[in-house]
Amino acid sequence: MKRNDGKTGRRFDRLRTWVFRAAFLLPALLVYAVVLLIPILDSMRLSLYSGGGLVPTDFVGLANYVKIFTEESFSAHVWGAFRNNIVFFLIVTLIQNALGFFLALAVTRAVRGAAFFRKISFLPTTLSVLVVGFLFRQMLNPIWGLLGNYPWLGNEATALPALAVAVSWQFIGESILLYAIGIDGIPSEHLEAARIDGADWMQETRHIVLPALMPIVGMVTLLIFVGDFTQFDIVYSMTTTMANPRYTTDLFGSLFYRAAFSTPVRGGWGMGMGAAVSTIMVFVVSLGVAVWYYLFKGSRRGEV
Amino acid sequence: MKTFKHAKAVRTIAVLLVAAALAAGLSACAKKTEASKSVTLNLTSWRTEDIERMNRVNALFTKTHPNITINFQPVNDTEYDANMRAGLETDTGADIIWLRSYDTGRTAYDGGWLYDLTKVIPDLDKFPPSAVKAWSTAEGVTYGVPSVGVTHGVYYQKSIFEKYGLKEPSTWDEFIAVCETLKKGGENVFAQGALDDWTLYEVVFSGLGANFYGGESARQALMAGKAKLTDPNFVAAFKAIDSLQKYLPKGYEGLDYVSMQQMFGSGQAAMFMGGSWEIGVFEDLGSDSAKIGWFAPPVAKAGDKLQYCFHVDAGIGLNKKSKNLDAAIEYIKWVAGAEYAQAFMNELPGFFMYTPAKVTLTNSLAQEMFDAAGTADNTVRTVWEKLSAQSPSGNSLMGVALPGMMVDKYTPEQAAAYVQDQLASWYAPFKN
Amino acid sequence: MSTGLKLKDKFYYLLMAFYMAVIAYPLYLMVVTSLKPNAEVFTNPFGPPKTLYLDNYANMISRSNYGTYFGNSLVVAGVSIMMIVALSALAAYVLAKHRFRGSAALYAFFVAGLIIPIKLGTISILKLMIGWGLHDGLGSVILVSVATGIPFGVFILTDFIRMIPEELSSAARIDGCGEAAIFARIITPLLLPAIAAVAVVNFIPIWNDFWFPLVLLKSDAAKTVPLATALLFGQYQTNYGYVFAVLTMASVPVVLMYLLFSKWFIKGMTEGSVKG
Repeated sequence: MKRNDGKTGRRFDRLRTWVFRAAFLLPALLVYAVVLLIPILDSMRLSLYSGGGLVPTDFVGLANYVKIFTEESFSAHVWGAFRNNIVFFLIVTLIQNALGFFLALAVTRAVRGAAFFRKISFLPTTLSVLVVGFLFRQMLNPIWGLLGNYPWLGNEATALPALAVAVSWQFIGESILLYAIGIDGIPSEHLEAARIDGADWMQETRHIVLPALMPIVGMVTLLIFVGDFTQFDIVYSMTTTMANPRYTTDLFGSLFYRAAFSTPVRGGWGMGMGAAVSTIMVFVVSLGVAVWYYLFKGSRRGEV
Repeated sequence: MKTFKHAKAVRTIAVLLVAAALAAGLSACAKKTEASKSVTLNLTSWRTEDIERMNRVNALFTKTHPNITINFQPVNDTEYDANMRAGLETDTGADIIWLRSYDTGRTAYDGGWLYDLTKVIPDLDKFPPSAVKAWSTAEGVTYGVPSVGVTHGVYYQKSIFEKYGLKEPSTWDEFIAVCETLKKGGENVFAQGALDDWTLYEVVFSGLGANFYGGESARQALMAGKAKLTDPNFVAAFKAIDSLQKYLPKGYEGLDYVSMQQMFGSGQAAMFMGGSWEIGVFEDLGSDSAKIGWFAPPVAKAGDKLQYCFHVDAGIGLNKKSKNLDAAIEYIKWVAGAEYAQAFMNELPGFFMYTPAKVTLTNSLAQEMFDAAGTADNTVRTVWEKLSAQSPSGNSLMGVALPGMMVDKYTPEQAAAYVQDQLASWYAPFKN
Repeated sequence: MSTGLKLKDKFYYLLMAFYMAVIAYPLYLMVVTSLKPNAEVFTNPFGPPKTLYLDNYANMISRSNYGTYFGNSLVVAGVSIMMIVALSALAAYVLAKHRFRGSAALYAFFVAGLIIPIKLGTISILKLMIGWGLHDGLGSVILVSVATGIPFGVFILTDFIRMIPEELSSAARIDGCGEAAIFARIITPLLLPAIAAVAVVNFIPIWNDFWFPLVLLKSDAAKTVPLATALLFGQYQTNYGYVFAVLTMASVPVVLMYLLFSKWFIKGMTEGSVKG
């Protein structure tokens, strides 16, 4: 009788099983750990160093963080990016998540054309964020654009929302897709039962669809959160890494790029400081995930 | 046993895939080193508008050096500095590199990436000393060929000026009068925006504001810490620029540099405060020297001497780690010579060569711009030297203060104070 | 859903038409502008082109290295996806079929990568690639893409493999096949739908990745399509028609990929979301 799942058998067999397991697991594990995980930890380590050039060599402990939080010219950028990212996230959530939910309801209706609408709604998501950004930039041009003489990307109040709208336009299709899948998964008996009881469209949504989709709402929210707090491409393409006008479109992604990879003339801070920025981002994202977990998983542990 | 052979097979496939990927990567790296006799030198600058013209100029070099081709790959102006430095640091930089003057270019030398050109440049002693200084260390090591200077002034559409019977203004009051007339007539007075951070500082403030703050002597005093940006003369410059706000086109807060150029070049605005480098761009858009005119930045009061911003724009450096050092040195020698100077100034009017050779300007606008320097006190951009060496740099601070002023976020006094105070956080002469 | 009145349906279609227009118009504008010479872009900004002006595309292909850029993107996407599938399948097989101390933790370890933004380690990744001599080569971007894609691959394939009935493997084992042979001969063919889904889902973000090519690639010969798009946008900013041709070209491959393979794509997303 040959071995089963490694629990019995001679020691040689067990060794062979483990060798086999290692051989199968290690390639993925190595690439994942070495290229994704370790660099994040290493960057956190590098944030404790300072010095010019690609690899900072002088150990300065927490001096970079002290500088970032006490000196106006640095802290203004970090807090600015933080504030902008939150506003950005809220606008995107409103459009992409909330509006997306309702559009998902719409494209899952059993009417002619719904499948076509569903397929097309995902089209913008296939584009590069860069392309979308450049496209919207041209459309919002005050001289030759679509929306008149108003300086959408020049006015501090409208620039960031413009970026949020562009990103939402692009990714609403992804939310629709995920919600539609969830809606498809609702057993039709539930909906029929509700219909028989005389529920209308809105009650159906509130009492059956929404609760059933809660896990997906959670997933979409999480995806949007992590994506927004590392978003860079849209800033690069719509308002350049200088986050025009006057850093009001600065997100953590653009701040990180500018701080780490630009020269001082263009707002660069050096690699050590750049690593400090990315470390701050790690904490912000972790905090956000923790809050998400509490909101979407923790309080629901008791429910189904 | 059979099983092991198969396990190996699967593992081998995985390993092969990884190897294939690495090979693809390495071969992309290796592609650069060419083993053949013909050599390609990579040249980079921030002049993405000039690809066609530069290729024509460099073709002349290939004519006399048939085995050397120049591959010109410019990078967008705003990305250039970071790109250049990253390339040098990671050994993927171009062979020939255009360098900005003073501190920005200096960091490339300090990093040890540039070849010492002191003994390579022919007739270095005949180059204008102020230009040489911009690409040399205090100890006398020159790391960049002083190549190109640019000036700043105001372009205008001749047809629009004729329509209102306007003459080129020479004083600021005349200038404002011209603006008023045009505005009353319903024209777009300026094709000028406040979106891009650098245009208002590099051209408008350094160019037109110099007449108010006192040009070179004021700049020297500022660097020495003997003057402040909040002094009356500098604030006067901020105020003067601010007074132009009402003549900017509708939506100017969102108008970026390229759109500005398009707008003026296609004849939709009367004036454009710009640099000498724009001549070629306007030509391409249909506004050649027959259609547009130029005047120097108007002086503050009648009788004042023109404080002319003749900025040291570009030097040409050589990457120490170039794989084709000999060919690159040949090219460096060539760009420091007369043939390059003449060809360059023909193809790219508005760039003024520092080469100590007799060259003739064929473009009338360029000639006007060059002549203005003869009777003026020349200076360079306000906070370019020393004041932009560290973060927050004078340049980036101006890039926030001036657009902010033009959208009334700051008053002129606040804008001046903003730059001054932030610079004081690291610039030693300002700390007191 | 509730049976609507005629009015309700009319309202619905109106809404959908509006929504479709909102999606389609920017794309229409992009394509239409790319077919105009620069001068016409300003005189006729929103209407259809007067003639089919193909020069922008011709110039792009002849004057720039577009063929190289396209080829690079293809290599990166192709090799990355092959490696993601291969590495993920191998790991997923062990995680699905073997239960040992730590296997659950290991699985969680992989899946956590789904929400860990790899971007945050960029500085160290750059350092790493320089140290390995891979920077400015496609290998660096490939490795990053693979690392990013492994969590999703493991996530999807582990479940899929778990669903493969144990009897098939047991039967093979009785016949004398070892684990590896079982994997290669029996499991892999059954995995093809899931593999297709993983491949298609990963194609879009890998093709469109801008950040890592921006940081890791420098020389012209190594650039991928998004990087070249940004470069050409910067180089030819004053020629709007050309710029839009560049944008259109950058979009065609992925749009095509999506339209042809949307079935697999949706399958992949379905697997992912049902488990989330």
